[in-house]
This record gives sequence, structure tokens and C-alpha cells, in this order.
Amino acid sequence: MRDGSDGGRLRLWALLAVLAFVVAGIAAGCGGDDDEDEGGGVTATTTGTDAEATGEPLRIGIFSNNEGAFAPFEGQTWGGAMLPLIERGATPASDDPTDGVENAVIAGRPIEIVYGGSDSTPDSAVEEARRLVEQENVEILLGPLSGSEGIAVANYSKEQPGVTFVNGISGAQDTTLKVRSENFFRFHSDGTQWTAGLGDYAYNELGWRNVVTIGDDYDFPYSQIAGFVAEFCAIGGTVSERLWPPLGEEDYSSFITQIPEDVDGFFMGVGGTGTVAFVNQYGQLRGNLADRIMGGIFMTDPVILEELGNQVVGVVTAGMTAGDSQEPAYLEYAEGLGNAYADLEGTASSVFAYGYYTAMEAIAQSLEEVEGDLSDEHAAFRDALANIELDAPLGTITLDENRQAIMDNFLQQIVEDASGDGVPDVQTIKTIPQVDQTFAGFFSPETPSPDRTNPACEEAEPPPWTAQGGGG
Amino acid sequence: MTRSTHVVERALWWAPGMAIVVVLAAAPLLFTDFYLSAVLTKALWLGVAAVSLTFLAGYVGMVSLGQVALYGIAGFTMANLVTADGGSAIAWNPWLGTLAGILVCTGAGLLFGAIASRSYGIYFLMITLAFGVIVYLFFAQVTQLSGFGGVNNVDRPDIVSNPVSDPANLFYIALGTAAAVYVLLRYLGRTPFGLALQGVRDDPSRMRALGFNVPLLRMLAFGLGALVAALAGILSVWWNTRISPGSIDLPRTLDVLIIAVIGGLYRLEGAWVGAIVFTVLDNWTRGIDIVGGRFNTVIGVVFLAIVLLSPGGLMGIWQSITDFVGRRLAGTGPSPPEAERAHPS
Amino acid sequence: MSRGATTTAKPAWLTRLSAVPPRKLAVRVLIGLVLAFVAVYVGYKAADDPRTFVVVGLNGLTLAGLYFVVASGFTLIFGLMRVVNMAHGSLYMLAGFFALSLQKKLTGGEATSAFGTSEAGLGDWIIPLVVACLGVGLIGLVMQQAFLRWNQGQELRQALITIAISIIIADQVLANFGGVAENLAAPDAFPESVSLRLYDISYPFFRIFVLLVAIAVGLALWAMIKRTRFGMIVRAGVDDRQMVSALGINIQLVFASAFLIGAFLAGLGGVLGGTMISVNKGNDTTYLLFSLIVVIIGGMGSLAGAAIGALALGLVDAFGDVYLPAGYTNYSVLLIFALLVLVLAVRPLGLFGRPA
Repeated sequence: MRDGSDGGRLRLWALLAVLAFVVAGIAAGCGGDDDEDEGGGVTATTTGTDAEATGEPLRIGIFSNNEGAFAPFEGQTWGGAMLPLIERGATPASDDPTDGVENAVIAGRPIEIVYGGSDSTPDSAVEEARRLVEQENVEILLGPLSGSEGIAVANYSKEQPGVTFVNGISGAQDTTLKVRSENFFRFHSDGTQWTAGLGDYAYNELGWRNVVTIGDDYDFPYSQIAGFVAEFCAIGGTVSERLWPPLGEEDYSSFITQIPEDVDGFFMGVGGTGTVAFVNQYGQLRGNLADRIMGGIFMTDPVILEELGNQVVGVVTAGMTAGDSQEPAYLEYAEGLGNAYADLEGTASSVFAYGYYTAMEAIAQSLEEVEGDLSDEHAAFRDALANIELDAPLGTITLDENRQAIMDNFLQQIVEDASGDGVPDVQTIKTIPQVDQTFAGFFSPETPSPDRTNPACEEAEPPPWTAQGGGG
Repeated sequence: MTRSTHVVERALWWAPGMAIVVVLAAAPLLFTDFYLSAVLTKALWLGVAAVSLTFLAGYVGMVSLGQVALYGIAGFTMANLVTADGGSAIAWNPWLGTLAGILVCTGAGLLFGAIASRSYGIYFLMITLAFGVIVYLFFAQVTQLSGFGGVNNVDRPDIVSNPVSDPANLFYIALGTAAAVYVLLRYLGRTPFGLALQGVRDDPSRMRALGFNVPLLRMLAFGLGALVAALAGILSVWWNTRISPGSIDLPRTLDVLIIAVIGGLYRLEGAWVGAIVFTVLDNWTRGIDIVGGRFNTVIGVVFLAIVLLSPGGLMGIWQSITDFVGRRLAGTGPSPPEAERAHPS
Repeated sequence: MSRGATTTAKPAWLTRLSAVPPRKLAVRVLIGLVLAFVAVYVGYKAADDPRTFVVVGLNGLTLAGLYFVVASGFTLIFGLMRVVNMAHGSLYMLAGFFALSLQKKLTGGEATSAFGTSEAGLGDWIIPLVVACLGVGLIGLVMQQAFLRWNQGQELRQALITIAISIIIADQVLANFGGVAENLAAPDAFPESVSLRLYDISYPFFRIFVLLVAIAVGLALWAMIKRTRFGMIVRAGVDDRQMVSALGINIQLVFASAFLIGAFLAGLGGVLGGTMISVNKGNDTTYLLFSLIVVIIGGMGSLAGAAIGALALGLVDAFGDVYLPAGYTNYSVLLIFALLVLVLAVRPLGLFGRPA
């Protein structure tokens, strides 16, 4: 290493140049002060001449994943988020939902949408949330997308009581049940709630008594399997084994061979990228899935159905959306989405679109209720959010005391393609009404977070929607 | 050059560094809270992580891609020992947890160093990369220690306070740590140990012939690198208030490599130069619509350009400029001996 | 041993044994014990459930085949040119995506679903395979000519260059190839599974096909290296690059060809893996890591080493998932780490590695 014994005058030059660097840094840093002129990232404009836009501009930050495993779903999240604005008169800025909209007005206030993106890791989500809140000065933040990000952002929200945070689609149970931040709202059910009804169906309709679960070794499958186990065991079923292929493992063949031949059935909580790999490998090793499997929420994602084809006809799954709903409200929503963004045609039932949609819709309606008044640290606005009865396209959504959604869940079965598009269809076979996060008290802030061994498989108070609980 | 200028310039080698430190000390008054925290403090601890790599690469000839994994070990150890959400949360005193994290990480560094001590050059790089990814997978898969969601709300010593609402404290701590690390490593370079390391870098077989225990030296150097990385890890957990496997995945490892290379692998200062360029660029590009999520392409291109054009990184460019200016200024005076301007390493 | 003599003659083996320094001896004994323990444990599990043992063993072998195809390209490039191609995994991933796009175009978007609705003719798989491999081979060649030709010998710099390229490729793939992980559809002509008469096992045909391809690739490479003039030059170049060019041989042409072949192999692995497992944006990291591990174990520049390394990794990976006590399967990555440590403790340059 050099020990720098150059000329003495050189040192002076060095000093001056270094100071120049620092001054440049200060100049850049002061750019951080001046938020109004921070040109980048603001993807919507207000016209000012619009007769309706009389109030002060309102900055809403929206962020999803633009890198990482869930990046392909960014378009769907933004499409869902922009739709309520479009329904209120805004126009898409382009074919790409992430470019935002123009002339967005809610309750007379012009809306400035600020773009953000993270890479599905908690650190990046919080960094992005901080940038949007502290540098871009958004007043409402919509996001994030992935489960572990949600927990981190919910924790961060406690540091910023002056900003209202509304969840995008991140589905970890803890985000609301444990973190319980006063200014963090989630207008969709969590990953555990998405399995409501499956345990009941397995036990009562299919006659299963003993089940093996298999799920990727990270928090989202834990939540999914936790919900199934909670319900199935509460009404008397047993889970003989829980298999957890490590994260990143794409070769499921060894795990598939471990599944005993003599169980009644098994619950598959393999999410995202693994679904396709798993289904194919299972088909190769064991044959047809349909009669002995139940699936997690990803199986009904339209993109995955196109991938998996007839391999999964017959499989029963559940989730918070019903792609085959004929309700006028749902059809209107689906049509609206397809009209606004051609690429999103047919993706209305995707949880990514729906979760961001309900979030923005709730924000818009609550703003309208308080006439755009966000004074007093959003007191009236948050009150409106907490007490809202949201008439969402697939049913009413209300919030519990942890600001977590209570909404219907849909039991679904994958059937042969009848619509002629070559992709198997999803048929809703049952609606599970008003599922709450606690599964009728099974989960509470004191219960251990869902993980590889929790919840334990025990008989308990049957949830109200099961046959044993008086529902069905 | 006269004797007096010699004396003056020897005494002044620390002058630019001190100047920067003095300016930075006033930073909380000059920058917004957000910028102070999200950009400057981050650059400081990223720089500490990068300097562990720069030290190993520049002084010992060991380019290690395992520094991020090591600082992850420190961070996860601490996070699991103190009060937190997730992990083992054994609820130790935060200072004890910090100490434990540093010790465990240094131990792991010595262990890895021992395993890899007989491997050189590119082979060594590959082994450390493999270690790094394995450590990441370990923390991602062993849910008792973290799992995918990571450990949130990690308890910090009171003096660190809250990096969001009260960033000045952590900024000064990071600044102090960075300065201390820099001085320590600079000083070490002149001790017999440091000189032996440089000898190992230049010609291991000759060192062996001279009777030095080369594998031992390399192991110790790696342990020292781990110690510095541990400090970065602790700072990063305090800064984030959480740690998750995503904090130490391959992109993060490559980030630190990029920072060290952009700054200049042969000058310790390069670590912080690279870090500030990286964080400023990151913050700036996020706001720009066209670039948006394509920061990685941008930084990849910058990285490629630096490697192709100036292997000494930005500090190398800086050195070339000062050499050029110095030669012009010196005019007819004797230029510094060639040996002293020899290639960096 | 004669008792009456004044000096006792030691048996030869004892002499050799005491010549080994005690620490090395201890390490070797330790490793021996570990291996013995593993052998006994696996043996016990195998006897307990032979059917699973065979299936998992096949899983390991077929995985090893895939790893070998990918790693052989990596080790060829390093052995000859001393270039650590950190973009090797990116090439693997790119080939998968190219083949997938092409297959979709050829089959009108239908065939990329699972076996069920596939209408993939033989051509619908072979053509994407060839195009993707050649495409990726060309990209590798261009990469080498543009970025790696003029700085030969600067190993670290070349590694950094290839890292930078892999970062850019990864980000651009993310930006341009949307969609979730998908599979390439194997041709309909291939049966879905074959039934082995052993233990009534029905095993996926394509995985066996991959193993056969890997063996074929290994043999082809071996024949090329040992029997052809090109191979002879490659071997000479590995030993002494300067001498070879001093002899008037166009070493640059040899390098370019070798890089082309290496990249082609990465592409081949990508298409095979994309059909056997999936095409996924995380593949570049995963398969780079696997290539690194295979080559660290086997030794850089050694084909036999790549085969052994791939076998070791594939078997450890497959058996680790199944044979670790339930509740500890998430520690399976530590087994790979342990494997690395074991090898490096005895052979810092890999089993068949030679110093530069």
C-alpha cells in the first residue's frame, strides 16, 4: 500500500479537491431537503384547471416489488391500485400500470401518485418506505407486497404516526395480529384466512382423517398450512407429518418420495415458483394429483393455471377471490380492469390485483367520507378506515380491532376447461362467510407465530363456518 | 524535495482524512434527517464492510466474497441474543449481545480462514463465495434463528436510540467506528504483522522460505477481516433495526464487492468513496421514473466500466490525476522515485 | 520382527504412518471416521427402506448428471484459460429463457404447460434446445472476445468483469422475461416414466435422459480432450500456454473455441434443467454456486474432478433432504458445507486439482 509521500503542494490540492467532493455532496444532500422539487418518481400530475380539483394536492405513495421473485406481479398490483382512481375519473398515463394515472381526484383533492419498488426483502421494503415517507413526504403509503416485507413495514409505521399505512397484499398473519400498529390497515385477509374452509371440506366432504402437509420452508406457507391445520385439527383431524423443503429447493422429488402412501390426502403449501416444479415432479413420480391433494392459494392464480394445465383438474383449493363470480359488482370490476389495461385482461381474480384494489378503494371511500380532511394526524380519516363497510366486488369487508380485514373466503375446485381458452377453469363450490383472522379464537397475539411446528394439531373450538361449528 | 517538505508532508498524510471527518462531524446540521440516516449513515457502515474486503484484497491479496456473510453472522448472533421479535430472543443486554456477535463472527472468520488458508487467488475467491451463499442459505432455512421473515425490532443500546427519529446518534457512532477502523488498519499496515501480510501477498513461497507460517498469517488476516466485518454487521442491524436473510443474500455480497472495486481495491479510503457513490446513486435513481427498478443495470454498467477502464477504481483515477497534477507542478524538480510510485499491489 | 536383534525393524506401513505429521494424521483419521459413520448411517437407512434408497439414489444421480453438464463447461474454461466465468450461471438461465420463448412460439403458447396438455413434437424441443445452446454459446464467445481476450492473466479482473456482466444479464432478464417459473415441455415422444423392475418403481423418464446425456457429454469431452488434435492443444495449453503459442499454434482460436464449447454446455444444462426442474430467474445464482462447489471439490480444470464433484454434490443434496432426521431437514445446506470442508481439509485444490 502506498504511504503517500508525494509533494507537499500536492497535499494542498488533495485537500481542496476533497473539499470540492464534500461540497458536491452537500449540494446533493440539500436536494433531499427540498421535496417539492424532487422531480423524480412523481408519476401523476394535476391539471389545476379541473373544476373538481379544488383541494390541496395529496401525495399517495404506492410500492410493490419491482425486483425479486414477485416482480412479475408488479403490473397486477398497480392495475388494481389505479382502478379506483380510474373509476373516479382518472386516465391511465400509459399501457403500463406502473406509470400511474393522470387527473386523479378524490374528494376534491388532486392526487399525486409517487412510485416505489422493493425486492421482497424486508430491508429493501423499509428503505423504500422510508424514502417515500421521509424524502418524498407522502401522506398515505400503500404497500408492500411480500409477507416478510409487511411485518417490517408495519413495524416501521409505528415510527411515523403522522402517515397512514395501508397494506398492499403482504399476507403474513403477524403483520396485524402481533405488530398491531395503530396506523397500519389491511383490507384483505391474511394467508392463514385464505385456507378457511379447506379443513372442513377435507374432513366432512372428502372423509379425510389423516393428512400430510408439504410446504416451502418460509413464512407464507407456514401461514397457509397453519390455517388448514387449525381448522382440520380443531374438528378432529390429524396431521401425521409436515414436510418442509428448504427455500430455493426446486427438486422436490426427494420430498415427494417421503410422502407416505397410506395417508388420506395431503395439503400442498408450495408457493410461487415451486408450484409448477412440484406439480410436474409429483405427476412424474406418483401420478395424478387430483384425488388426494388440496392446494394453497397460488394454484388458482390465472398465470399458474395456464402453466399447469390438466394436471391439476379436480384439486380443491381456497382463497379470497372467486374468478368465476357472476355478481354484477365483480363483473364490473373485472371489465374495468381489462378496459384500463389490456395486459391485465383476465387477471381480475389475482390476489395481487384484488388486494391493492381493495386497499385503494378503502382509502378513496374513507377520504370521501371525511371530505379529504387529514388534519390532526389523520384522526377522522383513520376512524373512517377502521369503521368502513367496504362493498368490495367479492363481498363486504370490515376490519377487526387490529385493523385486519374480515371477509368471505371461497372454496374452489379446478375443473376442465369449459370456456374454450385451453386453460382449466376454477369453479367456486362454496362461500365461507366472514372469516376472521383469529379463526374463532384459535389464533391470538399470544399464540406462537405460524412456523414449522406451530400451530400444534389439537382439537379445539370449531370455527363457525365448519359443519361442526354450526356452519356448512 | 527539501528535508522540511518531507517532514511536512509526512505529518500531513492524515490531513485530507481529518478534513473530511471534520466536515462530516457537522453533517447533522447540513443534511436532512432522512439523508443523514438513509444515505450517509448507510454509506459509513457499508464502507466499514467494504474496507474489510479492501484490506484483505489490498494488503493480503485475498479477495473475499464472504465479508457480507460474516457480518451477517455477527448481526444474527446479536439479534438472537437480545430482545427482539423473532429468532431466539434470549434477551441479553444489548452491549453483551454486541460483544458476543463480534466474538462469534471473528471466530467464524478464523475458522473459515483456516479452511481456506491454503487456497490462493481466484480459487480463494470461489471458496469464499461458496461460503457466503451457504451462510445465507443457513440463515434462510434455519427458522429457529431467523427464517425468512427475519428478526425485527432488535434491541439496541440506549445510546444508539432510534435511527428514524433520532439519526444523529447512530451517525456519530458509525462515523467514529469508521474512523477508528481506518486508523487501525492504516496503522496495522506498518507493523511487522502488516508487513508480513504484504509479503505474503507479494510472494508466498518466498515468505515460506523465510520461515513465516503463511497459512497461519492468512488465517489471522481473515480473522481480522471478520472482526471489521462484524463491526459493520452490528452497525447494519442497529441501522435497520432488523436483520433477515435478505440482508445478506448474494446481491448484497455483490454490492459490497462493487463498492470496494468502484472505490478502489488498493486504497483503504476507496471503501468509503465507493460506498458514498453507491448510496447516493441508489437514492437518486429510485426517484427517476425511467430508471426506477433498474438500479442494478446501472450499477452493473458502472462497475463494468470501472473494471475495464480503471482497475484501481475511483481512487485509482484520483491517484492518476494527482500524479499528473503533481508532476506538472513539480516542473523541473525531481519526481518521486519510481519505486514509490510503483503499482499499488 | 526379530526379537534378538539390537534394532527392531518396523513394518513398512508403520514407517509410512509415522512419517505423516501428527496434525495431518489426525485430520485424516477424523475424516475417515466421519465417512465411516456416514456409510453406516446410510447403509442402515437403505436396509430399512430399500425402495426409497433406490429412488433417492436415482434422484441424486440424475441431479449429478445435470450438475456435471453445467460444471464441465465451467471447468473447461478455467482449466484452459484460467478464467473464472462468474456469468456461467447467467448463461444457464438465459438458455432456459430463450428455449422457453422459442418453444412457446413454435407451439402457439400451449405446450409449456405440464405433460397433460402438451403437444410438443420432438422438433418443438430439439429446435429450442439447439437454438438456445448455440445462442448462448455465441454470447459467451462475444463476451470472451470483447472483454476477456485482452486481459489474459489478470484473473481477478476477469472474474470481476464476468460478475458485472452477470449482474447486468440478471437485471435485464428480470426486466424482459416476465412470468413465473415455468417448465419447458419435453417432447411427447418421450414417455413420462419408465418402470424399473426393481421394487416396482416408476421413475421419470426425462431425468434418466438427462443422466444419459451427461454421460454422453462426459465421454464426448473425454474423447475430444484425449484423442483429437484440438484436445491435445487444450491439454498442452493447460500445462503451458506460452509454449503452445511459441510453437506457432493459434492459441487465441483455441481459447475462443473452448469458451464457445463451455458456454454451449452451460446452455445445454439450462435447457435440460429447464425441462427437468424449471426455468427460473434465480437459476443464475443457484447454478453458479453448484458449478463452483463441483469444481472446488473436483479440482479446477479436471473433467474427472467435475464428474466426481457433481456426483458428490448430487448425492449429498438428494440424500440430505431425505435422510436427515425430520425436523432437521432445513440444515441440509450444512451438509454441503461439511462436504466442502472435508475436501478442502485434505486437498486445498480439490481432489484432482493442480496448482497453477
